[in-house]
Amino acid sequence: MRLRARTLLTPLALTAVLATAACGSSGSSGTGGGQASGSASGDACAPVAGDQLVVLRDDKQLQNADNIVPAVNSATATASPAVVTTLNAVSAALTTEDLIRMNAAVDVQRQSAADVAAAYVQDNGLADGVSGGSGPIVVGGSNFTESTVLANVYADVLTAAGFQATVQEVGNRELYLQALRSGQIQVFPEYLSTAADFINRLPDVNGPDAESIASSDVDATLSALRPIAQQVGLIFGAPSEATDQNAFAVTRELADQLGVTTLSELADACGDGSLVLGGPPECPERPQCQPGLADTYGLSFASFTELDAGGPLTKAAIQQGEVSIGLVFSSDGALAQG
Amino acid sequence: MLSAAGGVVLAVDEAPNPWIDPSYVTSNWEPILRYLGEHVRLTVAAVVIGALIAFPLALLARRSRYLAGPVLGLSTLIYTIPSLAMFAFVAPVTGLSAATVLIGLVLYSLVILVRNFLAGLQSVPDDVREAARGMGYGPVRMLWQVELPLALPSVMAGLRIATVSTVALVTVGVIVGHGGLGQLITGGFNANFYRAEIVTGALGCVLLALLADLLLAGVEKALTPWTRRARA
Repeated sequence: MRLRARTLLTPLALTAVLATAACGSSGSSGTGGGQASGSASGDACAPVAGDQLVVLRDDKQLQNADNIVPAVNSATATASPAVVTTLNAVSAALTTEDLIRMNAAVDVQRQSAADVAAAYVQDNGLADGVSGGSGPIVVGGSNFTESTVLANVYADVLTAAGFQATVQEVGNRELYLQALRSGQIQVFPEYLSTAADFINRLPDVNGPDAESIASSDVDATLSALRPIAQQVGLIFGAPSEATDQNAFAVTRELADQLGVTTLSELADACGDGSLVLGGPPECPERPQCQPGLADTYGLSFASFTELDAGGPLTKAAIQQGEVSIGLVFSSDGALAQG
Repeated sequence: MLSAAGGVVLAVDEAPNPWIDPSYVTSNWEPILRYLGEHVRLTVAAVVIGALIAFPLALLARRSRYLAGPVLGLSTLIYTIPSLAMFAFVAPVTGLSAATVLIGLVLYSLVILVRNFLAGLQSVPDDVREAARGMGYGPVRMLWQVELPLALPSVMAGLRIATVSTVALVTVGVIVGHGGLGQLITGGFNANFYRAEIVTGALGCVLLALLADLLLAGVEKALTPWTRRARA
């Protein structure tokens, strides 16, 4: 999926570069001058407003394989093995294209997450051939579109398998993982690498200072995750092909002004530390966010602005020139706007 | 090449996204009612439980000045804890349940309720109390038949403020998934800034607060007929 996202986004970024290279030639000398004097005074990478967002390629593979994978409470999985087998059937069918399409259906076409999930289950025949379930089961979903849609997909398929599944909206991982361990919610659509590192760094596993066990290798990450997940009372099913991982976007104007398409090139161009980073409040602590950008790419930031996790605030802040670079999600439909 | 990406290339601004969209309300009637129901249940439960706790606290605070300081100080101190932090503190104990939100809401309602109850009780003139005592009223009967009716305007004012502020605070419960109409507000934010959904949640909160305030104003009027007679 990493490849698929790149193949989708790289041509887009290229067209963006080509398009502005042609029409921006008259003003380019002006911006060039401003840029030169800017780097001297240390604001070469200050935010530049623009409508089009461009994802900078993660050429040093900072982002891990964040495949969608069902997380299930161990006691539930032991009591009803049908939960994991049913959810594995969803994993087998789910692709990143499906994710993007469902996200766009909710975020752009304004359908409800429950309707989109129901239509997806119907169209892909996911309700057929699942069975063996009984009793109530609560599927958690974080409060953003993709997680809500996936939680509804899980719930619909579990209902088809005979469970009485309901969806419970929850907040961030710090809260819902505890609820999943204690069995308040029994199922959660997780992201493989993010969940692996989060669980590994729990105080009762290897502690907050533990080395990352996630990588861009799905199988390696999964086999590192499963034993420690078992330890905290969780079972992870089969990961799907679909992934949604962090990506960093700038405006096309800033990318053109600096002539960058990758994060490495951005680090080279922004050695003066004038970048303004925007992201979710937990970004300065999350290894895939600010610390990762600093360690892997050597990026330094003038400041960090608390926004949301790849949501409207972040996208608007990049577009309006409040931040230079912001955290977005690679499956976000807004990135592909032409 | 761009069109090859299909429906995904629709820009954020290209899609119609009006602030007011009645079709959103009609096509999402069922979840809206569910969230509204949760909002009302949480608000009513929080104010009722808050009042049941605040009343003895107010009596306690009235008994001595030494107790009044800590009681009022503590409830004010709780009120200064940011609501997001409050729910995050309570969540590890009570989990992702409505109880988490309810505990926070009750604690926040205390500062308003205790202060108003206390002010009401202190507003009873000493000579009225003395006259009642002279007529043979014991402390319990005096509280119910003399002091409480006279304190009622202040008590009701406290209940009205607490109710309105609770309606607004329920929305913060989204961090544990029990935010009533707040689910619509954050849901709209997270669904690519769906204005109709955000407005429905926000407007719902405002209307609910207004309605609750009117209702309690009516109750107050019905309970204190003498205030109208005096004015007439």
